[in-house]
Amino acid sequence: MPFDLNFLIRLIPALLEGAEVTVELAVLTMLICVVWGLVVALAQATPGPLSWIAGGYIQVVRNTPLLVQMYLVYFGLSMIGMGLSGFASGLLALCIQNGGYMAEIYRGGLQSISLRQYEAGRALGMRRWTLYTSVIMPQVVARVIPPLTNQAISITKDTAQVAAIAVMDIMKVAQVWVESSANTYDVFLGAGLIYLCLTTVISLGGRIAERRLAFAS
Amino acid sequence: MENTLNDALSLATDPPVVQQRPMLAMSGIAKWFGANQVLKGVSLTVAKGEAVVVIGPSGSGKTTLLRCINLLEDYEDGIVAVDGEPIGYFVDARGKRQRMGERDLAAAREHVGIVFQSYNLFPHMTVLQNIVAAPIRVRGIPRAKAEARARDLLAMVGLTDKEQAYPVRLSGGQQQRVAIARALAMDPKIMLFDEVTSALDPELVGEVLAAMQQLARDGMTMIVVTHEMSFARDVADRVVFMDGGLIVEEGKPEQMFTAPRTDRVRQFLKRYNDRYRL
Repeated sequence: MPFDLNFLIRLIPALLEGAEVTVELAVLTMLICVVWGLVVALAQATPGPLSWIAGGYIQVVRNTPLLVQMYLVYFGLSMIGMGLSGFASGLLALCIQNGGYMAEIYRGGLQSISLRQYEAGRALGMRRWTLYTSVIMPQVVARVIPPLTNQAISITKDTAQVAAIAVMDIMKVAQVWVESSANTYDVFLGAGLIYLCLTTVISLGGRIAERRLAFAS
Repeated sequence: MENTLNDALSLATDPPVVQQRPMLAMSGIAKWFGANQVLKGVSLTVAKGEAVVVIGPSGSGKTTLLRCINLLEDYEDGIVAVDGEPIGYFVDARGKRQRMGERDLAAAREHVGIVFQSYNLFPHMTVLQNIVAAPIRVRGIPRAKAEARARDLLAMVGLTDKEQAYPVRLSGGQQQRVAIARALAMDPKIMLFDEVTSALDPELVGEVLAAMQQLARDGMTMIVVTHEMSFARDVADRVVFMDGGLIVEEGKPEQMFTAPRTDRVRQFLKRYNDRYRL
């Protein structure tokens, strides 16, 4: 039964179609969360009520399962008449949770910058925007590339959970093929290999970005 | 070269000094760290072109006083003005002391250059980028012009060949000279030096002091907090001795170092001389 060539030839194009959806979800989640996570991190770093809201948000989204959040978005919103498609619900849930994780990564990066860097910028007459865009954030970005790469890999794997809300990603395509063929082993092996290819590309990309942005070596 | 107030006073044959606005005027600066008062109402006036060296034991408040000038350190009472313009706090129409807003504070800080003990260069920028960043981003000077000026300043501090280097590749003395050039690139009205040689290996101290001495000779108004007594003796127009959050004594270096008026200064200098006598 395993390694039935004819079966694989039919399976692979189907999985690749699912991979398109997976890649779309992962890339959109990353792009949105790179910005959203920074917004949350900066909100948390600003003293006042905004900081508590951001802190509470991070606690809640990090400490509940992605699948629960996904069901809440998918079924919850449709209950109040604002139903989103499976893809949109999955994307929203992925962004809600990973925005929290990304905020924590940025927070670590921001805290790793010495207060003396802020002083040096302010002493030169820099206002907040200039200080952050030319002094602080370039250093933060260089430092958070490794954890962001990790997070991107994690996001890519987490997209598999959208199969639970009927989005035809790699995982859902695999489940459908398993049901119709009963060939569990080949199908999930194929699915796993495609995920591995995707995450390998991200790892390599992260390495390259790390090298490009390295200034202190 | 600028005639300093002290030069003028010391020459009896000079015409009477025209009373000019001081470059720096600090009055009644008071600061607490919790219950501990570290500055007890310090007033200090520095004339244009004057080089003032502040000495005193650790914990006497000299670094804190310097950092209050451009509000890197907040203080609870007192007022500072640079070239007649308030910086940090101002007194409003009703006579109430108010902290400046971010925009006004940033604008006022442009006129005050500061060099830190720990250099604080921007590690992600080359030497040249470190120097031109603020002139371009804060003052809006065109890049070509800012870079030309930066190269002049690098030549002045003897680092022409290092403009493309990153700070991590430089020695402490080189980093500190870049920091001096970076501060000068904003064309400040006054330069503050906060124990700038304290973190350096002894053999690198000289190159940094030489750059500062050149600046003083060129007429830059400066306040130098240092433990380098020879620099104080050779370069200062005036030496200020601080202890316990107060200015205990001030005077010309030759008077201060040979005939101090207070026991506290005599004691401090004796201890210093005992330690460093070869």
